[in-house]
Amino acid sequence: MTKKVSSITGQELREMFAAATAWLEKNAPDIDELNVFPVPDGDTGTNMLLTMRSSVEEAYRAPDHSASAIAQALAKGALLGARGNSGVILSQIFRGMAEDMTDKEEISGADLARALSKAAKTAYKGLSNPTEGTILTVIKEASSAAMKKSAGNGKDIIAVMETTVSTAKESVANTPTLLPVLKEAGVVDAGGQGLYTILEGALQYLKGETEQMQFKKPQVITSSIPLTLRLPEMIAADEVPYGYCTELMLKGEDLDPDKIKTRLVKKGESLIVVGDSSTIRVHIHTLDPGNIVHVATGLGTIHQVSIRNMDEQHRDFVAAQKERAVATDVATIAVVAGEGLEEVFNSLGVTAIVHGGQTMNPSTKDILTAVEQVPSDKVILLPNNKNIILTAKQVKPLTKKMVEIIPTETIPQGVAALLAFDYDANLETNTSLMKQAIENVKTIEVTRAVRSTQIGGLKIKKKQIISLLDNELITVGNNAIEVLMDTLNKISLDENEILTIYYGDDTTLSEAEKASKTIREKYSRLQVEIIRGSQPHYNYIISVE
Amino acid sequence: MTVRIVTDSLSDLTTELIGDLDITVVPLTVLFGHETFQDRVTISTDDFYHRLVHGDIWPASTQPSPQDFANAYDKLAETSSDILVIVLSSRMSGTNQSAMAGKNLMKTKKIRIEVIDSQTVASGLGLVVLAAARKAKGGASMDDLIAYTRQTLKRSHFIAYFDTLKYLAKGGRIGKAQGLLGSVLSIKPILNVKDGEMSPVTRVRSSAAGIAYLNNYMNSFKNIEAVSIEHTTSKDNADELVRLFAANHPKVPILRSTVSPVLGVYGGPNALAVTVLEAEGK
Repeated sequence: MTKKVSSITGQELREMFAAATAWLEKNAPDIDELNVFPVPDGDTGTNMLLTMRSSVEEAYRAPDHSASAIAQALAKGALLGARGNSGVILSQIFRGMAEDMTDKEEISGADLARALSKAAKTAYKGLSNPTEGTILTVIKEASSAAMKKSAGNGKDIIAVMETTVSTAKESVANTPTLLPVLKEAGVVDAGGQGLYTILEGALQYLKGETEQMQFKKPQVITSSIPLTLRLPEMIAADEVPYGYCTELMLKGEDLDPDKIKTRLVKKGESLIVVGDSSTIRVHIHTLDPGNIVHVATGLGTIHQVSIRNMDEQHRDFVAAQKERAVATDVATIAVVAGEGLEEVFNSLGVTAIVHGGQTMNPSTKDILTAVEQVPSDKVILLPNNKNIILTAKQVKPLTKKMVEIIPTETIPQGVAALLAFDYDANLETNTSLMKQAIENVKTIEVTRAVRSTQIGGLKIKKKQIISLLDNELITVGNNAIEVLMDTLNKISLDENEILTIYYGDDTTLSEAEKASKTIREKYSRLQVEIIRGSQPHYNYIISVE
Repeated sequence: MTVRIVTDSLSDLTTELIGDLDITVVPLTVLFGHETFQDRVTISTDDFYHRLVHGDIWPASTQPSPQDFANAYDKLAETSSDILVIVLSSRMSGTNQSAMAGKNLMKTKKIRIEVIDSQTVASGLGLVVLAAARKAKGGASMDDLIAYTRQTLKRSHFIAYFDTLKYLAKGGRIGKAQGLLGSVLSIKPILNVKDGEMSPVTRVRSSAAGIAYLNNYMNSFKNIEAVSIEHTTSKDNADELVRLFAANHPKVPILRSTVSPVLGVYGGPNALAVTVLEAEGK
């Protein structure tokens, strides 16, 4: 494991990518399932694999065994066999590497780093509108880390590759932060994952671990950032309608990729035009594939024409995703106001959210629409407000679906109910589990009085701060934190463990932190958590569990 | 001749638990950087968890090699002609593959070896291996044992409380539990194994609620043959669970174990795991 290799020959370069291809082959079906961008058609892994195979096959036909000749052959093979968006980008990566390896007999760590860096630049150039959070970002960040590493360690190709692989891994994990459609689908970028797998396979070859590779399997990277797992039907794509994925190879003389790109750019989405003056590969998502073929035949001879209906691909993809997602046939719908609180409910896996709450009660129709839209015949409703429970109940006779209402009167009750949702249980059991869960939570709401009044001996002036404990008015004052502490003082917290503070739209994080500090000083046993709720009206909504 | 039983170290069966049942355990390997340890053999669970929580090297694990299994088979072949291998879920590890491939690397060839992919893990596997070993010791034939093992696996219900999903996510073995990642609130997931993968059941917000959940889960079964209760680092919590369960079921045997370091890589500190083996023909 402490092995050090300073450089590799052309043959080793080829064997390295052959090993990487074998490694990718094991991962291809998993990568297919990740595929949501640019179109969720579920073929990225397969496309990258076919591209790699073509690349390596061509490398066996290289005129000599210099690194330069092998790299040229790898690039040629990749271009000839490129399939799909990610395949074409991969072919550009090989092309950039080959350009940088010209005249090289062997490749050192420093050479590899430079070649990767050139590869990243070439990959960006091939695209009409490069998107971050994809394979492009991964090659860019990985190659830049490789360059840094090789500056001090250029003679150790394994060290350079190790850095490349570990950076690629982080970069893939970060793709959902850059590309919202990934975040929404709860996956990392498929092309990025594919590239990482290839690099990881190459590293294992360099380390002489090809034997072990037979018995191991590449892992799909899971993102460390908050993901919102939606039901498959809700996975968004940025490009609608899908139309046809049209690919072809154009052969001729004096072809100009840039000119062809300009001619095609308005004819569809995800356009890629790459190649040289004699061979060009075109990939485009278009509603009129005939038009693309027509333009191409006017420029040269066309080969390997492929036109695939992406709506069909998408259906297959959704079916595959369904199998993979958590199988539950009970949908949950919550009524929530405030961006932060919506995120809380989303992150706990609520199926749909109806916007609303205090002073903005949703209509029966709003809730009914959500019930009809969720992809399930069994629905659990969380009204999360006393005044909305009745509205929710009215939905029941209006739909053929089986609807159960959990009478949650506050947000913390809604959260507690949703937490208790059991993925394995049916509608009936879940309804009873969720109703029980409400009992274990106390809610304190701190807000401003909307008018002057007198209730139960408390004199309240308009705009004074008041607190409610499970919807009962408890205390009044002029400072939110004091009112909150007064309220806590009036209840027994012996049985409780966790206190969650959701701070509102008008409250700052530092105020919330001050409140949290005050609570912890007095109740050191409690675990206090601060969450941005950004709810209107309420300075604080506190959940005590 | 007695059928011999082989399993892997993720069955969480220690030498004491195996007793005189003659079970062969093939260990997986734990790696801390360049240091390699045999699961439970050359690294103790305590040492492991200390390094997991306090060390700066992220441990990895690898399955036994086919040769490891071949060696175990060859040794057993000296005294037996039938070996039944029961390994952890093939969806979580390639151990199943190694166990199969090991057959072809044996020196002695003419014996029957059958490999069963348990589709479960930890004591979910361990309790079944113990039951199968007892049957084998009683003289059951290979075919009877295979049928019995498959049927017993259906009665084995594994469920676990995780203090955090961090370790499972980092190890890339999150399976269908991925949906629980990234909760804005701090939550403690309850997971089971479904179709051989970790799968979410529900979530709680504290270890006390986790203990209560696991206790209710065990109590929800009417006829229990045996249970297993194990922990990664929180011995007290597991002991509490034992006390709660024993109070309700004084006659049900309780297998008390610790979660193997290899699994601990994913389970992380403070995890608790419970397996209920339902009685036959309930």
